[in-house]
Amino acid sequence: MIVAFFFNPERSFVGGLESEVLSWVTIVGGFTLLLGVVSLVRVNYSAVKRKSEDWIFKLATLISVFVMAIPAILPKNVSSLFGRDVGSIYDWLFNYVDAPMMSTMFAMLAFYIASAAFRAFRARNAEATLLLVTATLVMLWRVPMGEIALKSIHANLPYLINTYIMNGANLAVQRGIIIGAALGAAAMSLRIMLGIERTYMGK
Amino acid sequence: MQIWLIPAYILLILTGVFLLYLAFKTEDRRYIYLAVAFYVIFPVLITLKLPIDISPEARQLYDAVESLPDSSTVLLTFDYYPSTVAETEPMSRAALRHLFGKDCRVLTLTTVPLGGPSIAERVTREIAKEFGKVYGVDYANLGFKYNYVAVLKGMGNSIEAIYPADNSGTPLSEIPMMADIKNYNDIDFIFLVSDNGVVDYWISIVNAQYGIRVGSGVTAVMAPKFYAYIGSGQMTGLLGGMKGAAEYELLVHKPDTAVKGMTAQSLVHLFIILSVIAGNIVFLSGKRRRKRGAA
Repeated sequence: MIVAFFFNPERSFVGGLESEVLSWVTIVGGFTLLLGVVSLVRVNYSAVKRKSEDWIFKLATLISVFVMAIPAILPKNVSSLFGRDVGSIYDWLFNYVDAPMMSTMFAMLAFYIASAAFRAFRARNAEATLLLVTATLVMLWRVPMGEIALKSIHANLPYLINTYIMNGANLAVQRGIIIGAALGAAAMSLRIMLGIERTYMGK
Repeated sequence: MQIWLIPAYILLILTGVFLLYLAFKTEDRRYIYLAVAFYVIFPVLITLKLPIDISPEARQLYDAVESLPDSSTVLLTFDYYPSTVAETEPMSRAALRHLFGKDCRVLTLTTVPLGGPSIAERVTREIAKEFGKVYGVDYANLGFKYNYVAVLKGMGNSIEAIYPADNSGTPLSEIPMMADIKNYNDIDFIFLVSDNGVVDYWISIVNAQYGIRVGSGVTAVMAPKFYAYIGSGQMTGLLGGMKGAAEYELLVHKPDTAVKGMTAQSLVHLFIILSVIAGNIVFLSGKRRRKRGAA
């Protein structure tokens, strides 16, 4: 990939090779998904068969996998209920079962955050106080009622928060993290390519 | 604004304060949960119209799309899971309204296997119907392909090599609008809507290596990170969370679910701030009392 970056993909052998390899990566990736499904079915099936602890939940997992997957795989020219188009079984299950369940799980966070803020967000020292004040200002700035409250103190306060906190301190820190992570990733890649780092092989 | 809403909302706020007092008194966090539930449900039923300021980042994204010539080709991503649709789907809807309103050709795809393709299909078809747009001519949904790094890189050479068929299995060669969309050279702007780390790859692979302008709408927790890309000019505009979605809805003159959600989000934010302040007052007074007792 590094070498191919310096070649024209349409006019060079290396560019064409890169295109071919990238297609193969997505194809192989598809098979790894299949491998994941096979593994999940094997593990859960054997647990259900042995009636091990919580086997009923594992059965629910197996049923869910097949109920979602089979109608999606079946050819849509046999019935409009098959495939993944709008109106199919898969689409219906996704929109009316899966999506609301996932949204509900995520929405629970609001309750936990409120409870955690009430119990744990304390000004124990100077750093914690700084974090607390900044978080409070940003939380106020991010909602219309908060903006009204900030403007009642000073008309330019929302603008100042955007300029000095988000585009100032936050931007500088985020840039440092991004550059640091990128350098770390480059160093790790180099170690792997040179054979210095072998932990990914279990060594 | 209806006058009767003011006492109703004052009563709601006082109920929350009372529940907070009960939570302190009984040390039972369920009162906090109840207050949050009130603050979320009540404004959804009875919405209060609030003034929403447009942030410079949202304005930048809107202007970038607005400055595209009519009939441009825009790649719109649905890189999010169903869990974050409250924040992200309004962004996609507003973006589609803006793009279809400008007669842009919209190509959608997702790097998220769970839900992404279905959400893209549902939302795009719904908004396309509003504007009388035709699938295959004005818009197409490429769906999902595994390994987003390879997908993002591969589309630079050939979209068809990575996506031989669209989400419904129709070969790209049979989709009229794809006749002159071969790779990134044929795409004028990329509008990302995402709830995960794939945004970094769109920036580092597609923007940096192919030079295409990228704007994005992300969840509120992710937004602070991307100010770094806005500052460096690698990202053209940013929508952060439901507030960002509400700003874009107002910019395209079609207030929708995000604008409606602002009242609930405002109340919950204010309640959390109130909880933090109250918690700290109790903490600091307890600390002082302990100090005095020790002396």
